[in-house]
Order: sequence, then C-alpha cells, then structure tokens
Amino acid sequence: MRDLKWWIWIFAVLSSALPACAQGNYEIQVYGAATVEPKSTMVELHSNYTPDGQRYVIDGVYPTNHQEHETLEITQGLTSWSEVGFYVFTSEQNGHGVQWVGDHIRPRVRVPDSWHWPVGVSLSTEIGYQRAVYSPDTWTWEIRPIIDKYLGRWYMAVNPALERTWHGPDVAQGLGFSPAAKVGYDFSKKISGGIEYYADYGRLGDFYSLHNQVQQIFVVTDLNVSPKWEINIGVGVGPTAATDHWIIKGILGRHFNWKKESPVD
Amino acid sequence: MVTRRELLKLSGMTVASVALGARAQQIAPADYTIDIADYALELAPRRTIKTIAYNRQVPGPLLRFREGQPVTIDVTNHTGNSEVVHWHGLFLPSQVDGAMEEGTPPIPAGGQARYIFTPRPAGFRWYHTHVFAGNDLLRGQYTGEHGFLLVEPRDNPGHYDQEIFLALHDWDAALLASADGSMDPAYNVSTINGRVLGFGEPLRVKAGEQVLFQILNSSPTEVHWIALSGHLFNVIALDGNKVPQPQLVPMLRLAPAERISALVEMNHPGAWVMGEVRKHIMAAGMGIAVEYAGSTGKPRWEQPEELSWDYLRFAAAVQALAPAPSQATDTVTIPLVFASKFAGHGAMDHWTINGKSYPETAGPPLTAGQRYRLQFINRSTNDHPVHLHRHSFELRRLPGQPETHGILKDTVLVDANTQLDVEFTANDPGPTLFHCHQQNHMDAGFMMLFHYA
Repeated sequence: MRDLKWWIWIFAVLSSALPACAQGNYEIQVYGAATVEPKSTMVELHSNYTPDGQRYVIDGVYPTNHQEHETLEITQGLTSWSEVGFYVFTSEQNGHGVQWVGDHIRPRVRVPDSWHWPVGVSLSTEIGYQRAVYSPDTWTWEIRPIIDKYLGRWYMAVNPALERTWHGPDVAQGLGFSPAAKVGYDFSKKISGGIEYYADYGRLGDFYSLHNQVQQIFVVTDLNVSPKWEINIGVGVGPTAATDHWIIKGILGRHFNWKKESPVD
Repeated sequence: MVTRRELLKLSGMTVASVALGARAQQIAPADYTIDIADYALELAPRRTIKTIAYNRQVPGPLLRFREGQPVTIDVTNHTGNSEVVHWHGLFLPSQVDGAMEEGTPPIPAGGQARYIFTPRPAGFRWYHTHVFAGNDLLRGQYTGEHGFLLVEPRDNPGHYDQEIFLALHDWDAALLASADGSMDPAYNVSTINGRVLGFGEPLRVKAGEQVLFQILNSSPTEVHWIALSGHLFNVIALDGNKVPQPQLVPMLRLAPAERISALVEMNHPGAWVMGEVRKHIMAAGMGIAVEYAGSTGKPRWEQPEELSWDYLRFAAAVQALAPAPSQATDTVTIPLVFASKFAGHGAMDHWTINGKSYPETAGPPLTAGQRYRLQFINRSTNDHPVHLHRHSFELRRLPGQPETHGILKDTVLVDANTQLDVEFTANDPGPTLFHCHQQNHMDAGFMMLFHYA
C-alpha cells in the first residue's frame, strides 16, 4: 500500500513535469493556485500577437499569422476558496477585421489555507465555445489541476491540464494532455522574471509525434507594482510545426474590491 | 552548609544557577518550579493543537512575587530543544534576564536551570520563551510558553474586588502571502487564556464590583483590540507602570508583549462578551463571556464601528509638566532606523536597524547614569512593537504630536512610516537587548545589543 502511494506520487510529479498542452493563443497564462477573494473582482486583458504563425487557411480555420487576440477575463471571487471566471475572446486580423471568437466560463476551487498544505493546490474546469473559423473544435471542456509553490525568491507552478472536445473533429479523440508550467525568480520586490512552458501532447496514451505537438516556451516578466495590478509580458517561441513560431503576449489585470472597507472587519 | 543568604551573596544576589555547581542547586528548595513540556491544548470543542506549555497549562502559572524579595525558580526543560525563560519587564542582570543574546545560559534539552533574582520593579510583568523560531511556527512565541508575572509592591497593591488575568494569543500559524508582497504568519485560531469564545468558563462578576483586568498580548505577531460590551475600561497602568492620568476608554489596543491594567466598574448587569473588536478575529475565537451573578442567556456583543487608541491620553497633563529629563540633563540621542530587506515573495522579509541585521547590528556603548533618547524611525510598511530589555523607557514624542512624558513602558508600537521617540536612563549595566517583539521580525534580524562602556 505504501509502495502504491509512492508510485502515485512519482507519477503525479512526473506528469506535472512533462510538457504538452493545447493552449489556444487567446489566454496564455500559467495559473497560480490562489483564487480571487470574495467580494472582489479581477479584470484582465490578455493581448497576444503572432508575428510569425500559420499562414494558410486549413480546414476552414483562419491562419494565425499576424493575428491580434484580445481576451477579456473577468474573475469573481465567491468564497475564500472559490471563484468563477468568464472569458470573451476576440481576434483582429487584416482581411477579417475585429471578430468575436467565443466565450468560456471557468469555475475554480482551491485548498483552503487552513489545511496548511505545503503547496498551493486548486482545480479549475473550463467550458466554452469558439467559432469554427478559429477553432474546429467548437465546444470544449478542460479540467486543470494547479499546483504552485513559493520558495524564497523562486516560484514554481504546474498546470497538468486535460482537455476534451465536445463538438468538432477531435470529439472522438478522448482526453488530451495539455500541461503548462512556470518557473519564476524575484529579482526585486517589484520585478520577477521567468520561463513559461505550454504544450499540447495530444491524446492521452497516444501522443502526437513531436513534430505535431504544440510546444511553446516564453520568456516572461511579472511586474508587481501594486497589489491592485497584475502585469505580465512575454515573448514565446514555438519550435515545432504545429506551433506558431513567434508570439508576443501581455496580461494587464486590475483588482477591484467591492467590500465596504471598515477598520473593524 | 551554605545558607540561602550566603548563596545569594555568593552569586551576587541574582544569577542563573546553570553557572553554579550542582551542590548549590540542591541547597534550598525553589519557590516556584516550571516544567516546559509538550502539551495538547484544547482550544475549542474537537479542536486540540499540539504545543509547548509551562506546567501543562496555557497560560502558565501566575507567579506573584514581592518587590525586592529574592525568589528562586527551578525550570526543567522536557522538550527536545534548548529553551530559555525571559522575565519580561523586570530589571534583572543580563545573566538571568532570559535572553541568550545577553548571556543568559540556555537550558539544554532535558536540562534544568535555577533562576535566582530579586524582582523589581513592582507591576504587571510576564514571562515567556525567548528562543529562535524562524520558519518553525511551532516554536518560540508561537507556542503556549507564556505566563503572567505580578510583582506586588510592598504597600497595598490597590483597591479592587476581583483581579482577572487575561492573555490574548494566536494559534495554528501558517505562512501566507501578505499585502506587502512577502510572507507573514497568519492564524486560524485566536483565544483568550487558551480558549475560544464560548468554550470554557465565563468570567463571573457581581454588580457593583470593581474588577481589575490585567491583560497581556502574548501573540507572536498580532496587535489586538479588546472591548467589553456595555462597559468602559479605566486604564491605570501600561506595561505594569502606573500612568499619570488614568482614563476611561471604550477599547484597548495591545501590541505583542504589551500589557494593560484597567479597572472596570461592573455597573451593567447581564451577560456580555469581551473580545476582539475586529470581526474576523472575533470569528477566529478571541472572546470570552462575562456573566453577572444571576444573569443568564446568550452573552451580548455590541460591535464597535471604529478602532480608537492613543497612548497620549494617559500622559501627564501639559500644564503639569515638570522639566523633562532631557531638558535637565545632556541627553544623548540615538537614532534607530528600521527597514526591511526583501527576501522573495516566498519568504519573510529580513529586517535591519541602521542598515544592519542582527548579529551585525551594534548600538553605541552606553554610559551608566546617562540619559538616552532613542529615536525609532520606522521606514517600513509594518508596525513594530519594539521592546527594550532590563529597562523601562519613557514615551517622549509620538508621531505628529508635541513632546510628552510620564508614560513608562518596556514595549511600544511604532507605526509604519513614522517616528516615535523614547528616553531611558542607562541605570542597569550589562548587555541589553533591544528588538521587535514580533517573533518573525526578531528572528530575521530585528535585534540589537546595547553594551555598557
């Protein structure tokens, strides 16, 4: 029994460390385990531009080359351990103008602080629709475990996400494995730098060849200028054929607190 | 055969017996014994935590000493780590004060020590562990190692019908990210005398009684605000020292290590709650029921809407100001600048005094008999309850206020980004520790040792 626990643990760690994750380039983010506090809202704008991406229309899907994605993410804290997020995806591209791409909803729960776990753990599930000209798989579902840990100036997070297509060509594929991970380092209280990794390995148990996997690595910086603001900027490369070769991303977030501040709360 | 009198003479009246031979320890029985040992503390129904306590109780036993009358205390350390007991607020030689930084010998794991000293000055003091905790939130002040210590004056200690000792404490700590971008301890449970509100016996009072509340904040890191619904506190002493102007106030603020002595006239019969004014800490348990004789029903809590506290309310009246010591003598000013050093979003800040962290910190040598003005210049975003060992200091200037005097303390809260001045007379030669009383701050460099020239 004890050996079994060890094997499960080793498997979990190895799984977390593996690459692969089917990330649409609308919201490129490795999640941390913390959730938004109750009676407060986080509004984020994800801006992603692909200077060098897919140049051809394939199966009716627009090319990503020179696409500008703007995603509005609104996350509302529910309790001290839960939140729900809403996404509005848009795309701008020469010849197509500004287009609505789709919407997602993402409830999330986390392990409460009072449990004193040595790592932050949360679990999100994301359900949503994207228009077929932007994603042939229109209705998708994702479940994303999130594990993170601060160690002094270092920060580590892994998101070994599993994805499922509900409507589209990959509906018979089953669960796809799409991990993301981040390692960061605090150069100062306000400036952190790090590496983010995103991948889509394909179907669990029957991964794509490396050539056909999504593999992206971003060099990023996080600017912690204020507890109210979240700023993340990065440049990513995709070395495989299935990946956009260059992507520039930015996240600008603002935290709104709706609580009536009282000194006795 | 050595008599106790000879022993005291031999040891300079006040020594820790770890410096003496085994024979000396056996000469006379101790006046008090303290056993430091692991303890399962029942904070609430079905909520027990493992901690360390004195004599298997939290708070530890109340020690009542007579001012000027030597006492002997045997301490046995049953834990697996070194310990030391600090006698907070007493004017004791460094060897027995209870801080290893000053030279008090540690009590090794499984070992014993005998503390012999002459307690002074009179007033409400306390005793507690003074060991390093670091990231171990089950050591040091995070434990139940604290107790009340009352040094009674030779004359009548006062007029009251009942004296009640209360200790405010926070438990079950974990490091969490804080608003300032670093990790800080946060607590799941807060108690009065080791129990959450509604668990344990209420305080029983009678209509017309004068009750003297002796309240201690033994929290490792947290400031607390206390109110007793339906009643006012008449504050008569701060840190055990009588204030020039006792005042009626609706609530008390106590920083870690601070004590307040307050008389309450029990003139509002019923069942009431005495507890933390801030709702989230009350919800974590910090409260206790106060029941008048013959009263029943659920204790009432009247939620204050503001926090109010001002040390200056208790200061000497302006028109009554005698020439301040600093005007009468050549007071030497010592600026002490407090600042933090970022150590990562996943770590607690490190702390500096005048740019250096302990043990690199160094104060100027003190001259016996000299009056000193300490300028606490807090350039951080945290409040700091700073404590000077073995001496009392006088509050002289609070942020944005004119000069004051008359309030004697051993611990004072210096608000973030402010300056607060105190004065003290160097009248107790020996290494003297100065530090922030937040366990996580003192562990991370916020300490300095004064030496006498």
